[in-house]
Amino acid sequence: MKFALVGVGGAGGRIVDRLHEEEAATGRSFSNGSLLAFDTDRSAFEGMDHIPLDRHILVGDTHPDIRGEGVDGDIELAVSVAREDRNELHREFDKLKLHELDAVVLVGGLAGGTGGGLGAVILESLQTLTDIPVYAIGVLPDGGEPDQHIVNAAESLQSFVRLADSVILFDNDAWHDSADTLETAYDSLNDGLAQRVSAMLGLNELADADIAENTLDSSDLIKTLDSGGISVIGQATVELEDSGFFDRIVSLFRNGDETEDDGTTTTLAMRTQDLVQEATTRNLTTPCEMSSTDRGLLLVSGPAEEISRKGFESGRYWLEQESDAAEVFAGDEPRPNGSTVTASVLLSNVTEIPRVDRLKERAVEAKQTSTSKHQPQD
Amino acid sequence: MSVLIEAPAGASDTDSNRRRYWTSTECNPVADTAETQTYLATQQTQHQSTLMKLATIGVGNAGTKILDRMLEFEDKTNRSLCRHAMAINTARTDLAKPDFIPPERRVLIGDTHQGAKGHGVGGDVEVGADVAKTEIEEIRRAFDDVEIHDVDALLVSAGLGGGTGSGAGPVVIDELQKMYDEPVYGLGVLPGEYEGGRPALNAARSLQSFVTKVDNFVAFDNDAWRARDQTIEEGYDEMNGELATRIVTLLAAGEKDDTDVAENVMDSSDIMRTLDTGGISSIGYASSPVDAQKGLIGRFREDDEEFNADEATDATKIKGLVRRAVNSRLTIPCEVSSADRVLVVISGPPEMFARKGLESARQWLEDTADTVEVLAGDDPRENATELAAAVLLSNVTETPRVDEIQDQAVDAQNKIQELDAVREQEIEELITDDDDELDPVV
Repeated sequence: MKFALVGVGGAGGRIVDRLHEEEAATGRSFSNGSLLAFDTDRSAFEGMDHIPLDRHILVGDTHPDIRGEGVDGDIELAVSVAREDRNELHREFDKLKLHELDAVVLVGGLAGGTGGGLGAVILESLQTLTDIPVYAIGVLPDGGEPDQHIVNAAESLQSFVRLADSVILFDNDAWHDSADTLETAYDSLNDGLAQRVSAMLGLNELADADIAENTLDSSDLIKTLDSGGISVIGQATVELEDSGFFDRIVSLFRNGDETEDDGTTTTLAMRTQDLVQEATTRNLTTPCEMSSTDRGLLLVSGPAEEISRKGFESGRYWLEQESDAAEVFAGDEPRPNGSTVTASVLLSNVTEIPRVDRLKERAVEAKQTSTSKHQPQD
Repeated sequence: MSVLIEAPAGASDTDSNRRRYWTSTECNPVADTAETQTYLATQQTQHQSTLMKLATIGVGNAGTKILDRMLEFEDKTNRSLCRHAMAINTARTDLAKPDFIPPERRVLIGDTHQGAKGHGVGGDVEVGADVAKTEIEEIRRAFDDVEIHDVDALLVSAGLGGGTGSGAGPVVIDELQKMYDEPVYGLGVLPGEYEGGRPALNAARSLQSFVTKVDNFVAFDNDAWRARDQTIEEGYDEMNGELATRIVTLLAAGEKDDTDVAENVMDSSDIMRTLDTGGISSIGYASSPVDAQKGLIGRFREDDEEFNADEATDATKIKGLVRRAVNSRLTIPCEVSSADRVLVVISGPPEMFARKGLESARQWLEDTADTVEVLAGDDPRENATELAAAVLLSNVTETPRVDEIQDQAVDAQNKIQELDAVREQEIEELITDDDDELDPVV
């Protein structure tokens, strides 16, 4: 699928930067260079290595409370300045050339004033400007962040979910390793997210892939995400060992023998199915109750001779049973010289997410504490 | 699950009988069936040769691949059944796949359709049908260079589990039936159980449309052809190849040079007569390699106990081959005795033919299929390396797989409706709190 990438706020910008890097690194060109990074904080652009300068858009720099230094978590300020500058924002969208693309993906940290507030206004604008689906990738704050961030996240999540055609949710906590410094944590978080988003939303855009037996097209992806709500992506990869070649020779000799009760070929089927299970159960962008899934999509990518038909079909069937989804699309992506097999799974419109429930609880508590201290202004 | 759908007005008793098991009240057919389907009697015109000539159209990914494999098999075995071959699809990527369908005969539909844009229809049978209806003029134009006086029938191949074959297929068939008097046959792949609920629902709905609209529907069951030790590539290749071998061997039977027609040689009118029953058909097939010196080599792995390669006469060999064809994997498993008409083709070097064998095979089939309408004939192929038997069981009415697909489809449809009903509410519950303390930011 070809899609524009719009990063909003610090986290959003970093992820878009990383995703654009991933395009070059993996040979999946999904954005056609259709990129924009919005921020209220001038310094946020400094860390961007891959988004061209003319795509860095500073918002609200003439506003007396911002002046290019960010909104400091004030989500209402971000919303009001974004609305004042709406016409200017619209002009920037021309650079995205949306009519040439299948979708547009906005990425934002939900806890930040800019990511959550400006992000929501931009989602609103994009929905009025284009007929193509508008998706969001929303990053949840980790548990240690201050109350204001938690309230921001819970409230901007409402807006994101109502405005976007689907919100792919990414939970920092599920990925955070406390031993990491914040810097390295961000890197590994963004790597994990970039690999998942790139493989899933960038399906069919791999330059050196062969034609698939079961092609997944962008229409399948759009249909899957069409249920709205919150979606998560899982992924698991297995490195192909050198012995793979020997196994294949053995299986060639065994193929004609009908009485075989083999080790090798069953292993291939089992491995394909195991990968699907691992992707879904252990490696989701946000842990969730799988059976609350509405629609699903499975993509198995790797050398054609390493993907077993039975494993692929049973993996898909397992996913359909476990997720209790109405529909599970599945496709393969043959990479002739690939050294890995990767299963990527999209669970669309999952409605039981413990992390979201906890976020709401904490946000409600924080709000109650703050309103007992201050009288509401309006 | 109850079966309440009524046969369209004007359908005869036989029609309603064969409609009995492939209709299900809870799944609606994809394309409009309100128009009364006229079953045109086969108009046999005078042809130069007894060989059948087909115009073939592959719709969707699976349909296109099957057609491509049919052309490959023809090419390899020096047959010329498919005089016109065309692929119609909604996905640009899939149209790049064929090796034998010429690029100028591949038609992309729906590239300007909002729901497709050249990227397929997302498995949505409604979108598939809608795209084809919208582009019906384009599809018509694609048939401009089909010299219909030069073909005996048309064949539409499609997978019924996806959105394009199942949705656009019936629309294409409707149009062909309007445009031509020649019979239109369908060749359809039914999704396996493991392909899931939505493909089953697509197939159950599409099957109704296909069987109503075509003059005969040859079914292929993916489940019957699943093998354990295949990669995904081998799996589909092998199935498509098997189906191509069967359908081409059967339909291409006959003799090129009609000056010296042997007594039992199959004729295209025999084949068409057998297919004239309507309904769903299944094909059985068996083959044995031919050795120039020793004749037939017994490679009968599959339990034909009566057969003994050393003692058998040519006649028993042929009978054995036919039995094996019927008892081995049929394209769709069925109760053989429920067949309406049967056609047997023995294909191979003429010196291997045995009139007695053909006659006793025919006799055996009359008993087994419980019908007197069994046609048997030879398909002489001078340099063939195999002796093959292809058996067409026409209008079989007991096919357990069709019932299973219908059950799976009803379950899938119920689940889809249940999820649709609560979708918005569940999303709201997820993002809001019970006391409405949290407010959206915009």
